[in-house]
Parts: sequence; C-alpha cells; structure tokens
Amino acid sequence: MTDQADLLAQFSNALAARAEAAKGAVVAIRLAHERHITGLVWRSGIVVASEQSLPRQDEFELVAPGGAIVTAGIAGRDPSTNIAILKPAEPIASPAIAVAEARTGAIALAIGADGTGGASARLGLVNLAGGEWHSSRGGLIDRRIVLDVRLARREEGGSVFDAAGGCLGMSTFGPRGQVIVIPSTTLERVVPQLARDGRIARGWLGIGLQAVAVPDALRDTADQSSGLMVMSVVENGPAAQAGIVAGDIILSVDGTSAHRFRKIARHFGADSIGRKAELRLIRSGAVMTVQTTIAERHAA
Amino acid sequence: MSQAASQLAPKERLRVAVHAADSPRRVALGRVVAEAGHIVVGIGDTADVVLADGDGPPGETRPVVTLGGADEDLAGVLPRDADASQIDAAIRAVAAGLIVRLPGTREREAGFGAMRESEAHALLTPRELEVLAALAEGMTNKAIARRLDISLHTVKFHVESLFRKLGARTRTEAVAKASERRRRETITL
Repeated sequence: MTDQADLLAQFSNALAARAEAAKGAVVAIRLAHERHITGLVWRSGIVVASEQSLPRQDEFELVAPGGAIVTAGIAGRDPSTNIAILKPAEPIASPAIAVAEARTGAIALAIGADGTGGASARLGLVNLAGGEWHSSRGGLIDRRIVLDVRLARREEGGSVFDAAGGCLGMSTFGPRGQVIVIPSTTLERVVPQLARDGRIARGWLGIGLQAVAVPDALRDTADQSSGLMVMSVVENGPAAQAGIVAGDIILSVDGTSAHRFRKIARHFGADSIGRKAELRLIRSGAVMTVQTTIAERHAA
Repeated sequence: MSQAASQLAPKERLRVAVHAADSPRRVALGRVVAEAGHIVVGIGDTADVVLADGDGPPGETRPVVTLGGADEDLAGVLPRDADASQIDAAIRAVAAGLIVRLPGTREREAGFGAMRESEAHALLTPRELEVLAALAEGMTNKAIARRLDISLHTVKFHVESLFRKLGARTRTEAVAKASERRRRETITL
C-alpha cells in the first residue's frame, strides 16, 4: 500500500514540478474587461497566440512570467493556421523548447497563464493523434491532435507538453469546445514566415467555390464525377480577368483533379504567386481550358 | 386554455431595441419583434432588451440577445437564422434575467475546425442547384418546370433527389440545409 501511495505522490510531485517549470513558457495577453487569453513563449522571445481569439488590435499588454507587464505589438496573423505572433517591446526569456510528437493515449499537460505571471495546469490524454488536415480557412495543419482536456478560455493559446516535457504545440478550441493542438511542427513552419512577412503569402484567383456533381451527360467527357463550381467571382480578380464566370465547374488545375479542394490546395502556396495556371472547366455543357495568372491573396 | 392557465401566462409587452448594421435586416427583425407583441424602440431609448444582429453594440449594459454574434458573455446567444418563436422566447427569457443558449452551444460552437466537404454521393448537380434556387423563392413544381423548361415529372425527380442528398423532409428544410451547407463548404481561392 505504501508503495502505491508513494507512486501516486511521486506522480503528483512530478506533475507539480512540470507545471512550476512551465511558468516560463506562457504569458497572459490582457483583453478588455479584466479578461485574458494565454500566449505561448516561442523561440527568440516571440509570443504565439490563438488567432481566432485575439481581438483585431495592434498592441497588447502582456503579463510576463513573474508578473512584469510588457507591451507587445502584433507582428503577424494567419487565420488559416490560427497562429498570431506578438513581439514584446522588452525581451521575454524563451524557455528551451524541445519539439515532441503526439501519440494517442499519451499524457498531455496543458499550461495556461493565470494572469498574474504564473501558470495554471490541466492534465489529460492525447485523445487522438492523426494525420495532416486542412482548416476551414484553407490552412494546412501538420497533425490532427485532440486532447481530452477541458480548457478555460483564458488558457487557450498555452503550451501543451508530453510526459517527457516535450512541447506538442499550442492549445486552441476546435468546434463545439473541443480542445485541439496546433502542432509544434506547424508553429516551426509558420512562425518564421509570419515573423518575416507579417502574413503567410498564398495564391489567389478571386473565386468562391462549392463542390458539385458533374451532370451525368458530361461525366465521360469530363472524366470525373465531381468538380468545384464557381459560386462568386471577385471583380477584377485574376479569375475575372481570365473570363471565369459564376456557374463554371472547375475540373482540374494544371492537371490536378479538382474533385476536392484539398487536392488542389497545394497548388496555391506562396510559390504559386505570379505563376500561370491552366484551369480545365465545364461551361455551358462543354469542357474547355482557361489560362489564368495566380495573384497574391490579401488578408481576409 | 382555461382561465387559470391564461392568467399564468400573461403576454408581457417588452421594450426591445434592435441593433443591426444592415437596414433591411433591422426592419425585418423589428417586424419579428412587433409581431411577437413587443414595442420596438430606438437603440438610445429605454429598453428592456437589446436584440442585436451579430455582435452587440460595444459597451451595452442592457441584456442583449445576439443573432450569430461571437460574444459568449451576452445573455442570449442564438444562431443568425433563429426563427421568430425562438427570438420571442429568448427576448422574454433574457428580460426575466435568464441566460439563453441553444443545446450543445454551452461551449464555443465555432472554433478552429476542419474544412468540410460533403460526401461525393451527396453532392448536388448544377441542375439540382437551379431547382433549389427556385424552391428558395417558394416556387411550385409547376412554376419550376416552366422556368427551367423541363417536365413536371423531371422537377419531381430533382426535388426527391435533393431531399435524399440533403437529408430533408420538406422543401423549407431542403432550402435551409442547402444554405447551411453552402455557408460551411464554400471555399475561396
């Protein structure tokens, strides 16, 4: 019995030590009405936050580890990966960050900022660790990580650690209050670009699309059963200039089938800007090709 | 209804201020409020409740019912397409000091989610989208047949296919589900 009690006490002490050590990993980002959300202290003292929960303003007050108040300016936001970064006016020491991969069933310790320079902690399991996914705003997230942890809103944006102290990523809310993690791999990919450019460059055609079934009569000519129908065209955008009209059904982009948006999303990364793209589409019952030049997407 | 029951449910007339950036929407919401038996007042007037389309007026101290707003601290949070009876019920509840939420939205309903794409077999055809647009205008099958220059039989076939693909039982439900799907699944490129 005593052995078991000791094990439990050891487990508990180890967790408390981790939470104590994790204080330096988070800051509180002050909002109106005495509220705050959490920011994750990333490399070079950059503070990473959950884009969806950060109000649209240029400057924030941070409560740094230990309680010092530091102002920080927004240095970049990317709604597509839900990552925003802030640069503190005075440096905040960044903790050593060891990036770790999530495993389903492994212990996860989610750290939030308490608003006075300390940390709050939540313990649970990695409920699910899956492959890459695309957000509804079109961003690529390297892994699907769901936690079975409850999170207060003020804790969103904090670091999530595994049992070895490795950083799994930043906590955030998915639909219906689900707590998910923006993986460290995604932070490593997106944060440097954001710090450099203030945004994530993406290709843009200026169209709204919805997946539709190709009419039976055209399936043979189209050689596929679904495509993306143009629902709206931005005036003077690249697609409009190329003569694309609402009702066109896009079948492929540069030979890649557009039966699913995910399939062609990769064609519109930063390197696509300025490139010519060939769209194969159905218009008034006939299959045709249209040339267009991909432009840069501006902040949504 | 017995006399006792009607006494138990007095229809109180509340003063409701409607806040909407979009003027037709403000008029429409004002009509819903008035038809529910309340008094529509200006946003600056004394009001029991504020009904806001989207985000409420900043710094509002009166109880607010939002339609599709993101602020979860408001007393009443309804979806943007809430119906008249839900709006009326929410106004009354909030005026009585209660908090109103749809089931399942105690936590943040929105949130950073995955791109949704319907299953291939549930995708609509361009023709079905045309029929759907006509349904949304409240057209009868006969009128749809005339507009699209197809037989009544074909219209019925398309409508049934729409019901099946959208999982709808009525025309209204089909229109609502399709519009929800369009809102969620339209991507911009």
